[in-house]
Amino acid sequence: MLSINVDEFLANISLISLIAIIGISLYGIFVRPSIIKKIIALTIFTDASNLLAILVGFRRPPSIPPVLLNLQPSPEDIRYFTQVAVDPLPQALVLTAIVIGMAVNLLIIFIALQVYRLYGTLDVRKIRRLRG
Amino acid sequence: MRKDIIVAVCLAIVIVVVSYIVTLGGGLGPLFNDVRPLATIYLSTALNTYNITFTAMSPEAVTAIVWDYRGLDTLFETAVFYLAIIGSVAVYRGIDEKLRASEGFGLSKIVKVVTKLLIPMNIAIAASIALHGHLTPGGGFQAGAAMAVIPILLIVVFSRYFLLDIRLSKGLALALRSIGLVGIALTVFIPVVIGLIRGLNAYIMQNQAKINAPVSLPAFIGDSLISGSLILYNVSEFLAVSFGFAILFILLSIEEGLVKDQMRGEDVEH
Repeated sequence: MLSINVDEFLANISLISLIAIIGISLYGIFVRPSIIKKIIALTIFTDASNLLAILVGFRRPPSIPPVLLNLQPSPEDIRYFTQVAVDPLPQALVLTAIVIGMAVNLLIIFIALQVYRLYGTLDVRKIRRLRG
Repeated sequence: MRKDIIVAVCLAIVIVVVSYIVTLGGGLGPLFNDVRPLATIYLSTALNTYNITFTAMSPEAVTAIVWDYRGLDTLFETAVFYLAIIGSVAVYRGIDEKLRASEGFGLSKIVKVVTKLLIPMNIAIAASIALHGHLTPGGGFQAGAAMAVIPILLIVVFSRYFLLDIRLSKGLALALRSIGLVGIALTVFIPVVIGLIRGLNAYIMQNQAKINAPVSLPAFIGDSLISGSLILYNVSEFLAVSFGFAILFILLSIEEGLVKDQMRGEDVEH
């Protein structure tokens, strides 16, 4: 075995498994006939892509969260903070995406519930009348 | 079942092998060596009293981005949230929630007492997340999600009719959520109104003074940092998100038989 950096290997495993999870969840969304399974795959897709976005903003240790602990920072404090804190932008995007995603998921669930009440099934192959 | 296990093991092997190859080839390591220049700007100006042109006066860079630097983005995210909830309410249009006594429903007495103890704590946590959103991680969205646990707890433990007993109906939740949204809308226009009154230049969603727009919301009340408009946005968003989710859970827990009866009634009328 060629020698490798273990930390980097583990980081790469998490990144590549995230990509694999995104692939599997896309398979679930497109191929599975049941709407409930599509919704489950969609939530997995959302979570995996959120985690991927957070990971892109990561910074190699020593890194700290993007929160200044000193409320009257000196210029040195701010410079140190800028040098070690992780990227706050993906976190800000994901922060809203999680809550909005939950609301949109609930909307989809409401529609699925209504479809079940009207057609008595959640199998997309059987919901003929929904064909456009 | 056996096929599933084989597929899972194969996938795990593929992931490990691919990561090994990627690590050998130099890896994705350089990606994490430094943050992008944009992030450096946000980090260095989030709370910077020496650079008052760009600062958001919030020690929490994420909240500074969410409600100041990229405030319009969040404003329209809130619009998406609003539309999702209005869509759900529209799916349930015309379905009444029938009143019924809540006694005799729900889980055992032990669970009910524990839930009664938990709910004030939950409200305190949610309020603290919202009110400290500009100082510590969190903010209006997180606080609202923490608060949204309470209707679920009440529905599962006490039954859905208990919500009507304590007068948390769909109408009240809609009203409180609208108050939150109106709060956000008013906070957006506060700097413009101040600018009109004092004859100064001002922008929509402006927080601190800029070079050509000297209107600035107060960053401190007494000695405590409130970061200008950020605390107002966080509290309003907290109301909007928590009661928005409350509406959805109230609607989702309407008795299935009731809904079907009313849907059937609709068909007969036509």
